[in-house]
Amino acid sequence: MTGSTRLLTVGLTMLVSGPLTAQGYRLRLDARYQAVSFRGVEMDSVPASQVVQRPGEGPTSPDGFAVDCGTSTPGYCFFFRPGARLRGQPLTTTADLTAWGFGVPGLSLRASGRIATDLDGQAVWPGTEPNVVLTEGYAEYATGAAAGRLGRQLVSGRLGYQGFDGARASYRAAAAGFEVAGYGGFGLARAIAIPVTSPALNPLDDFQPRNGQLLVGADVSWRQRWFDLRGEYRREVDPKVDYFVSERAAVSGDVYPLRKVRLAGGAEYDFANGWWGSAEASATYTERNWYGTVEARRYRPFFDLWTIWGAFSPVPFRSIRANAAVEPVKGVWIRGSGERYWFDDDGADTPLATAEDRGWRAQLSASAMVATKWTFEAGLRSEFGPGASARTLDAGVTWRPSDAVLLAARGGTLDRPLEFRYSDAKVNWVSVTGDVKLSDRFRLASDFGWFGETRRRPDAAAFDLNQIRVSTRLVVTLGSSADRLPRAVKPAAQSPSAGGTR
Amino acid sequence: MIRSRLGPLWFALGLGVSLAGQAVAQSPAGGFDHPKHAKLFPRCETCHVGAARADASIWPEVQSCESCHDGTIAKRVGWAPRTQPVESNLRFDHQVHRRKADAPTCASCHQPSTSGWMTTRRAIVGQCLSCHQLPSEHLAVADTACATCHLTLAAATTLTEARIKHFGIPPNHQNAGFMVKGAKGHGTLARGTGGAPVAASCATCHARDFCLSCHVNAPETPLIQALGSDHRSTAIKAELKAPVTHKGSDFGRRHGEKVGSKAEQCSTCHTRESCVACHAATPAPAVRSLPAFGPGRAVGAVVARKKPDTHTPDFGQQHAPLATAAERSCATCHVRPMCLQCHRPDPARAAGYHPAAFLSRHPSAAYARETSCADCHNPQQFCASCHAQAGMTANRPLGTGNYHDAKRFFLFGHGQAARQGLESCVSCHAERDCLTCHSSIGGRRFNPHGPGFDPNRLRRKNPQMCAACHGFSIPSR
Repeated sequence: MTGSTRLLTVGLTMLVSGPLTAQGYRLRLDARYQAVSFRGVEMDSVPASQVVQRPGEGPTSPDGFAVDCGTSTPGYCFFFRPGARLRGQPLTTTADLTAWGFGVPGLSLRASGRIATDLDGQAVWPGTEPNVVLTEGYAEYATGAAAGRLGRQLVSGRLGYQGFDGARASYRAAAAGFEVAGYGGFGLARAIAIPVTSPALNPLDDFQPRNGQLLVGADVSWRQRWFDLRGEYRREVDPKVDYFVSERAAVSGDVYPLRKVRLAGGAEYDFANGWWGSAEASATYTERNWYGTVEARRYRPFFDLWTIWGAFSPVPFRSIRANAAVEPVKGVWIRGSGERYWFDDDGADTPLATAEDRGWRAQLSASAMVATKWTFEAGLRSEFGPGASARTLDAGVTWRPSDAVLLAARGGTLDRPLEFRYSDAKVNWVSVTGDVKLSDRFRLASDFGWFGETRRRPDAAAFDLNQIRVSTRLVVTLGSSADRLPRAVKPAAQSPSAGGTR
Repeated sequence: MIRSRLGPLWFALGLGVSLAGQAVAQSPAGGFDHPKHAKLFPRCETCHVGAARADASIWPEVQSCESCHDGTIAKRVGWAPRTQPVESNLRFDHQVHRRKADAPTCASCHQPSTSGWMTTRRAIVGQCLSCHQLPSEHLAVADTACATCHLTLAAATTLTEARIKHFGIPPNHQNAGFMVKGAKGHGTLARGTGGAPVAASCATCHARDFCLSCHVNAPETPLIQALGSDHRSTAIKAELKAPVTHKGSDFGRRHGEKVGSKAEQCSTCHTRESCVACHAATPAPAVRSLPAFGPGRAVGAVVARKKPDTHTPDFGQQHAPLATAAERSCATCHVRPMCLQCHRPDPARAAGYHPAAFLSRHPSAAYARETSCADCHNPQQFCASCHAQAGMTANRPLGTGNYHDAKRFFLFGHGQAARQGLESCVSCHAERDCLTCHSSIGGRRFNPHGPGFDPNRLRRKNPQMCAACHGFSIPSR
């Protein structure tokens, strides 16, 4: 039995046995099914001797597909032709349990796991591998100020979202607004709770670490009425060779100099590469019927040291962006945003193939709520930049006759030119969504979407990539007495004190 | 001296209450017109024999009325003595008062001192208080004095909820400190004196059920338990108001400190229900120390969930740093599944965090990261697997051919695009693709290192990365 299997067993045992012995528990089951149908592609080749070369055009196959005649496989040229329609039926069930009341005040158990499978058995839709994931499974002991956790946990925040199997301790001096936490254990892959050695992380059959990494980290925060300051440190080490996988730190803060003003900022530092990573600073002003934010940011990708990518010197981009919204008439909101960005000098310019090194994004949208039941929305979005651009127009209507029922219909159109490939796309789509809260404990939702995607290419590969997606979701929340998810306000009938005043 | 003054008072008071109550209950339009009959009756006991004799009714006999009201001498009347008990919470007994040495006359209580004979009315409270030497307003009398004339509410079984609802409000209930803990607080005033478990003044108008309207901790409060149980007491409505201490702008953030040290005080008004309205995640130990709503216990203060000031309209885009540093604060109101709605891609999900058709648009959002994709998506598991499915994978050794067909010589000039969008490149390309050229061992030895590259630091941190291209001959700079 492997380590992860043992953990999974423990976690699932918690799921089943927790409520039986605990005085309080909350169990949430979320099952989703989606049926997807889309066109596949098929790699094909033709002998180089059959390639057609027309004046002023690239080489094509006899039936008009642009071909790639590389030197790696002499004598043959390759291309993709439309394949059979592929169907995926991903079904996922997520169970999330919190249980407490084991006779030790402050002791609780948390477990969250997901089972995913493709009912078609072909895993054509991403995300169903691995089939079983224990996202979290830990025991926590908490007093008023201190807390300790043991088991599989997640840490999330500025340095990303990462799981580990280990321990975490935190102390909070509430009066001083101070909190500090430290954790350590066997790290999991970033943004997914599976070991870095899992085959699911290697779809390209690429280099992959043979060992998991040790993870240690610490968070500290200081919160007062006027500010929140935070610091994070995280280090991953390959225990077999004691080499670093990553070592980063981040600082961030929020300051509220005036009641309606929020200043925020933060930055990351990569100790492994010795450079500053992403950073940003923003100012937000909020009034009752309008708000606005201006922000300057810098984005730099981060790569673990077990890959070679960090040595390829990815360059950051800097941007200025702003967004604002105003409510000129009650219930009507108009929102706008824009961003201008440009990459740092990459030192790799060549006249052989230039690329855009700057771009922009802009968006304008409006929504109107009518009689609290109807909401109409429409938006226009335009993006231009390296790699890809897009122009989107969409609109939707939502009908919410009560808190328990929601019906929505949306549609839109999209143009998406690419910079490096002849694969511009024109997409039209419509979708219908229904969501019914059957009771406090049951919620049912369903969604249908049709996406008509036409590729615009100067060759025969301009085939459609239409998709149909249908999904259904059932959420069940179970819990013990007062501790299941409560209503925000108790109904008057339950309160003997409800009523007038004397 | 006192006895001589009290006797008539008691007698008159009781008689007056009884008569007035009967008159109001039985007779239309103001009941029996006493002044009109003043000349006929020199003594009250002529009609109200019960005021003088224990074995007789307080009410006149119908036959005695009909001796005149026979339709000849005077018109007939349709009066009959009541049979239901009188709605009253008085502990008055005419006979007891009459046996006093200085028994009060009927007029002592039922007739203003300046009025003429048989100008009767309900017992005049001021005259009761005067005889009982209680020099204050009726509702402002000392605590123990109430029991002199009144039964406890629980004992006054004849009172209806309608009567109780209109009880007057004592002046001390209007004092600023009445609703809170302190010398003027109702908790202090409710303490009994002289060995009584609870103040008689409280018990006169209230019963345990009334206290249950607000007091979550009623089962643990001896004062409340000392009161009798009577549902009629809820005819008086109480409104639970937040104390001044709860109105500070930072109370929401700091109340946890007080709960930890003064949970008992919190449990006066709050059940666990009011806590978990916001504390939706695992309730903190302090929350769990509060009682749960149930039989014999009030719901208590009703708490409505409210967004903190930090949650500005664009908070959804900016919450990551705060969520990291103050995870337990977030967990006050949010449960992990809420985070994982967005932070854990689900292959079966419908459009959620990303709008509909984002799949088609995502290249433009991903090349120059609109947001950090890798915060939620593992690039290998999520991006590369899908791109491989869509044929966007270099599944054979790279040659000089041109998959990026919009740029004729892309392969020779891809450096700029790669350094700008390396995360996008590696969603389709494996390391071996790049090592075809960028490797010192088996490749074409093209140097991929650019601005900011620090070979010594990287070699110190992890020489395995260097070895991927340089083997065991890692150059030093």
